[in-house]
Formats: sequence, structure tokens, C-alpha cells
Amino acid sequence: MGSVPEGVGERRGPGPSRRLPVRPAHAALAAVVAVVFAVGAFERRPAMTDDFDRERDAEFKKTWDTRLHISYWEKWGSFERDACQAMVDAFNRSQDEIYVHYVNTSQVDRKSMLAIMGGDPPEVVGLWASNVSPFAEAGALADLGPLMERAGLERSRYTPNYLKLGTYRGRICALPTTPASVALYYNREHFRERAAELRAAGLDPDRPPRTTEEIDRYADVLNEFGQGGEPIRMGFLPTEPGWFNWTWGFYFGGRLFDEKTERITADDPGNVDAFLWTKRYAERYGREKMLQFRSGFGNFDSPQNAFIDGHVSMEMQGVWFSNFIRRHRPHMEFGVAPFPAAPGVPGPVSLVDCDVIAIPAGCRHPEAAWRFVEFSQREGLAIICRLQGKHMPITEPPASFREGHPHLELDVFERVAASPHAFIQPRIRVWREYQREISKAFEHAWNWPVPEGELEGLEGAERQRKVDELCRAEIEKTLVKVRERIQRQYDKRKEREVLRAERTRP
Amino acid sequence: MRRSTGRTLTGYAFIAPWMVALAFFIGYPFLASLYFSACEYPPMMGPLFVGAENYVELARDDVFRQSMLVTITFAVVAIPLGVLLALTLAVMLNSRIRGQSVYRVIYYLPHLVPSVAVAILWMWMFNPNFGILNVVLRPFGTAAAWLLRPFAALDPGLPGWAALAAVVAAFAAWRWLKRRSEDIRAPEAGGLRSAALVAGIVFAAMLVVAAAAWTGPDDIKKLPSPGWLTDANPFPSKLSVAPSWALWALIYMSMWGVGQMAVIYLAKLQDVPVELYEAADLDGANWWQKTRHVTLPMISPVILFNVVMGIIGAFQVFTEPYIMTGGGPEDKTRFVAMYIYDQAFQYQRLGYASAVAWVLFLVIVALTMLALRISRERVYYAAR
Repeated sequence: MGSVPEGVGERRGPGPSRRLPVRPAHAALAAVVAVVFAVGAFERRPAMTDDFDRERDAEFKKTWDTRLHISYWEKWGSFERDACQAMVDAFNRSQDEIYVHYVNTSQVDRKSMLAIMGGDPPEVVGLWASNVSPFAEAGALADLGPLMERAGLERSRYTPNYLKLGTYRGRICALPTTPASVALYYNREHFRERAAELRAAGLDPDRPPRTTEEIDRYADVLNEFGQGGEPIRMGFLPTEPGWFNWTWGFYFGGRLFDEKTERITADDPGNVDAFLWTKRYAERYGREKMLQFRSGFGNFDSPQNAFIDGHVSMEMQGVWFSNFIRRHRPHMEFGVAPFPAAPGVPGPVSLVDCDVIAIPAGCRHPEAAWRFVEFSQREGLAIICRLQGKHMPITEPPASFREGHPHLELDVFERVAASPHAFIQPRIRVWREYQREISKAFEHAWNWPVPEGELEGLEGAERQRKVDELCRAEIEKTLVKVRERIQRQYDKRKEREVLRAERTRP
Repeated sequence: MRRSTGRTLTGYAFIAPWMVALAFFIGYPFLASLYFSACEYPPMMGPLFVGAENYVELARDDVFRQSMLVTITFAVVAIPLGVLLALTLAVMLNSRIRGQSVYRVIYYLPHLVPSVAVAILWMWMFNPNFGILNVVLRPFGTAAAWLLRPFAALDPGLPGWAALAAVVAAFAAWRWLKRRSEDIRAPEAGGLRSAALVAGIVFAAMLVVAAAAWTGPDDIKKLPSPGWLTDANPFPSKLSVAPSWALWALIYMSMWGVGQMAVIYLAKLQDVPVELYEAADLDGANWWQKTRHVTLPMISPVILFNVVMGIIGAFQVFTEPYIMTGGGPEDKTRFVAMYIYDQAFQYQRLGYASAVAWVLFLVIVALTMLALRISRERVYYAAR
């Protein structure tokens, strides 16, 4: 039992003399392994020169093989991609030594990070400003300061906040490409339609609100509700579009980080006031109703966008927004103004952000990369910013820049970006965590149900006062938690940075 | 001797590619992550050994605690519900009806749809304003709200609960007596189906009762049109540890994929020997006794398998909440797997992410071992 029957597993044949030295199975396996290694070892690395497109590159055919080919990874798609491509084309035409390949790259930050770690980065990369600190801290970006100096590219030509976004600990690690500032978009059609009511309320229908208090009053008149009290149109909704919830505090004089003391200031009184201001909308018009109302809005880039289709009359949005209004509702009558700050807070206040261009450390052709980056700053900015419908990140744009520019309210965005009260995101290592926590705190404040038991027997102003008091306490508690958590993380990272520096010191 | 060595070598040669891949792509990362969990490791800067600091930080991390709570709540609610639903489904699919194979295919189909497509589809279905779920629910929710309102107003813990419990008990007893009085001649098709039906009805009724007992005015207001993925408040609101509406939505959605589990149950159900039911009949066993002493023991290895797979699956939930809620609202759907992803790729803390992953791994191992231990005396293997 259990023994193998005779003959099974044996090879029948005339005799041992004809037996092969290696079994066929072994030979087959060895052959497969050999082929795999051979392919790996001798496979030709795909070259950028292979990427010749007969139509696109026809004009470069003559110099194609003599040029140095470098790659530029960028994040944009759609018409914004075309703008970048136009800048790249202009560079490729401007000389005959370098050819830049524009590579449209999703999740460009993560892919660049992996490419840098793997020692094979692109020559030029387009990142977000929030990537500058983590990349620069790891030494992953080339210092552009000396190159700028050599090329005579003055720092003073830039709007200070935009240059600051690409600077890490005094080193310029990235330069701005497309800038962004935000402002109040308002629907002129709605203002006109409710002109009489606005006047009756002591408001001017021909201008937008100038303080947060005025926003409340304008919104109150512009609101429209159905028979069951369900909102049909909201004059203003702080949760729309929902991208800037962490910025509200700045419009009330708040700050998120104190650079001098290196303290997280999430519970700054200005931030508390701002969250309370937004919370009043939830309480005044009903959290559930607002939630239902918002769920009917379409995507940002769609005709069902809440502002574009008229569900919301006033909204904080960036310079880019007019591109999308034009695309989905070309004849919409809208206006743009600096977003109002709270009474007594100096303005105009605006978030300033931008996309940046940088040279990854360890790239193969840094000189060629710099020539392209320099071109992007001298001539490229006008091309890319115009085609993307944005302003330029420099203080004195060329006179021709405004001619035929598609954005009619560009001066508002230039003005708020240059304002001394404009702000940028804190450039700290834990910013992403911080941003998420502060946005979560906003969500919590907005959704927090005021305990009904505490309001029993209260009416009118007294009830409102009590609601405010309860909400303020909850908001303060939530923001204190955020401050403690993020401060702990900030301190820990700093401690480890010191430890790392000590260990790596020769 | 030489021949056996040759055969051994051939065997190893054949499994070598897989072994090499296992060692390089699973073994090495597995061990490396253990080392990295004791490091501060921003991807572009290399690891810096910090000892047990990441684990100490983890113990104080309230977002991690929240994500663990979400994951465990999901597992505790979704696994038993899934097992029960799959079992009920399997029993139904096991019955001899026309077009049986079509139904089997239909129930299995959702499992074949890619999870990203499922997530996007359900996002539309959960839309509070025009999602099909709320459109269908609206009249029922309004009716339920109308029915439940008196209970909520009258301190629902007392008369409402008692009345509903009495109705459910009476109904269950009626079903049981009716079934018992019938001549059960086809045990292989009968007992469990009836049991599952009654259990399902009782369970559904108990859910209604529980909802009535636990809902407050806020919940009742929401019933006609819940906010689903956007609502962070617990349901029932009186129970603070209850899943949020958003998590309920994900639990509900996960039931859509029980077809695979049902197919496994079905295979095993069809494997239960008819003789056992015949023997039970001869002994005078009723449907419940047959279910309890024949069917359940016979399919117990499969129940164990599904529970273990359910535990592992629950701790790996990522795609659906990542696409549908991004962890929100207020971290109420942030599963541990998402937290690991955030730490590693959003915040570039590979060391800390590794520490979280190791804690998760140990929790899964512990729970699986617990399930195996509990099942040691409860699972019947015919071959033993």
C-alpha cells in the first residue's frame, strides 16, 4: 500500500545511453529564466526621441535628432493643459538646442516623489505650492536662487506672496506659474430681480456686500423658499463650494499659525468668530434643509454648479471660476468683488495660492531644465496665464497681457493678491494634517445639533443669544482640540528633524 | 535516491518563481514594514530609527481610535447581518423553483461589478435629494415617522416597546405553531427555509421595534429623507456608539455583495445528506431541531469560513468609503485602511503608517484566532 506502481514516473526508453543530461522541464525553466534576464538586460530603454509625432512635431523635424530632449511633468488637463502645451511649444520654437516634452501627469506630486526617490526624475516638474515644503525639506528640489541671480531674474518682479509660496527656509525651490486668489462672485441677475426688496432693506442692489454683516443682510433678501420652507435659492451658503472652510478665520482677523512663536493658533478668537458666523447659517435656515439642498448641486465643472445654475447667489471662488461660467453659461451676468471681511478687519483679505515649476534634484540635465524654467518665467507666464484665464504672479505684467484677455474682472484678483492682508497657507510640515483637522472642525461645528433642552422656554433674541453661547462653547472646544493635536505633531516633527540632523552630521 | 532528489529539485524549480516573488514582494515588505514602524520615515528622506515612539503616539491618537471604532462597528454590524442575509438568500436559492439558476446568477452578479463602479452607483442612490433610495423611502419614511412619532412622544422605551415586542412574539409563535402542525415530508427543502423566513421576519420586526424605542424626534424627522453619506449623527441618536447615518449607508451597501457568500452557503447546503434529515424525521425532530442539530452543524465550517473572511474583509474596507465619503463626515467613515493610506501617502509618514498597519495586522490575527477558538467546539468537520 502506498508504494508507487512500477513504471510510474520512470522514463521508458531504449537505455541509459540515450538519456538527456538535463530533463526537459529543467531545460524549459532555465530557458524561460534566461529569456527573462536577457530581455531585462538588453532591452533598449525607450528614448524621448521615439516620441516624434508627424503632425505636432513637423516643424521640428530637421533639428529633432540634434536637440537635447527633456521632459516636463505637469498636472493640468483640458484647456489648462493646452495652455501649458502652448508655453512648451513657444519654448521649443524659440531655440533649436532643446526640445521639451510635455507629459500630462495625474497625481504629479506622488509620481514625482517616486521618480526622485528612484533616481530618475523628469527635468522639470509642475507641483502645487503645498508640495514645496515637504519636497524642499527632503532636498528633492534644486535651489533656483543662484540660477535666478545668474540669469538676472529679479526677485522683486514677483508679487511677494507668490514668491514666498515657492520659498523654503530662505531658498527659492520653485517659481510660480499660474497664480490664484479668491473673491466674491455674485449673480447680478438675482440682485436686479430683488432690487426693490434690497432697497427696502436699506441695501444697494447695484453693488455687492462689503462686510460679512452685509452678506447676511443681502443673503436674507435674496433667499427663496418653497411652500414647505425648503430652500429654492440661497443668497449665500458658507459650505459652498466647501474648499475654503479653513480660510474663514482670516476674514475675521484670525490666524492659523504664529511663525515667531511657532505656535498653532487654531482657536484664535478670529477663527472662533468665523465658525460661529457660518454656524448661524446652519441654525437660521436648518442644518437638515441645507444638507438636502446642497445634495442637489452638480459638480463644480458642470452646468449644475450651484452658482452657475442659480441655486446660490453669492459664492467665494477663485480666479479660475470665470472660465467655467463662460463654458457652461456664457451669457450669465455676474460680478466679482473682494470677499468682505468682518467689520473692523482691514482688507481686502484673500487666500493666495499658486502652481509652481521646479527642477527635481538629481535630474540629468539641470542646465537645460533651467533654460526652460527661465523661459517659463520671462515669456511663458503671459502665455499660460492668459490661456488659463488668470492674472500673472508678477507686479508689472506686460501691457499686452490684458489685451483680449478672457477674464473681465482680472483687476480684482490682482488687487486682492497684492493686498498686505492677503494670506498664504502656513508653510509647515504638518499643514496637510492641519488643513484636514480644521476642515473637520468646521464640519463638526456646522453639523453640531444645539441641545433643544437648553433652549426650552426661550424665544426671540434671548433664544438666539443662548444658541450663540452654546455654539461658541462647542466651537471653542473643538478648535482647542485641533490646536492641541496639531501642536503635538508639530513639536514631534521638529524634535525628529533635530534628531535627524544630529545623526546625519558628519 | 538520485531520482527522488531530482524529483524534489524539479518540484522546487517549478515553485521557485512563486517562492522568489513571495519572498521579494511580500516577505521583504512584510519584514521591512516592521522595521519601518519603529522609524520616522518621510519617503524622500529615508528612515530614522525612533524606537517605540510611533506606537506610543498611536496610543494617544484619537483619529486612529476613531478609525478603529468605525472599523469595529462596521464589522460588528455588517458581518452578522451579512451572514444572516446570505444564509437566508442561500436557503431561498436552494428551493426548487422555476428559473432557479437565473436567480443564482442575479444574486451573484453584484459581486462581479468593480468596487469603484459600485461606489459611484451607490453615491447616486444615496443622494438625499434625488437618489432612488430616498425617493422610494419617502412615503414609507413619512408613514414610519407618523407611526413612530407617538412612541417618541410617549417615552418610547415603555408602551411602544412592549406592544411591538408582543406583536412580534405573537407573530413568531403563530408561524411556529402553524409550521409545526404541518406535515413535514420534505425535510431537505423545508425546515431551514421556514426557520429563516420566521427569523428574518422576527429580525426585521425587532429592528423596527428597536428603531421605535431608540429614535428621538431628530431621527423621526430624518426618516422620510435621511442625509445618508453626509450625515455624521448616530442612528439611533440616543445611542452615541451607534453607527452614523453615513456608516449605516456603507453597511447597507455592503449587503449588496453578499451573493458570493450565499453561493458558498448554497454549495454546502446542497451537500447536506438527505439521510440525516430522514433520520431526524424518524426521531420525531421538528424543523427547528433539524435546523439546529442537522443543518447548522453540517454547514458550520462554511459559516466559520465566511465569518473569518468577513472579519478580514471588514478590516480592509477602503475603496468604497474613499470614493464615496473620503472618510467624512467628521471621520465617521474613516476606516483604519484609509488612515494608513492617509498617513503614508497624504502626510508622507511611512513609519507611522507601518505602525498602524502592524496594529491592524495584530488585531486581525487576534480576532481570527478568537473566531477559530470559539468555533473549535462549534464547527463540525465530517472528515474528523
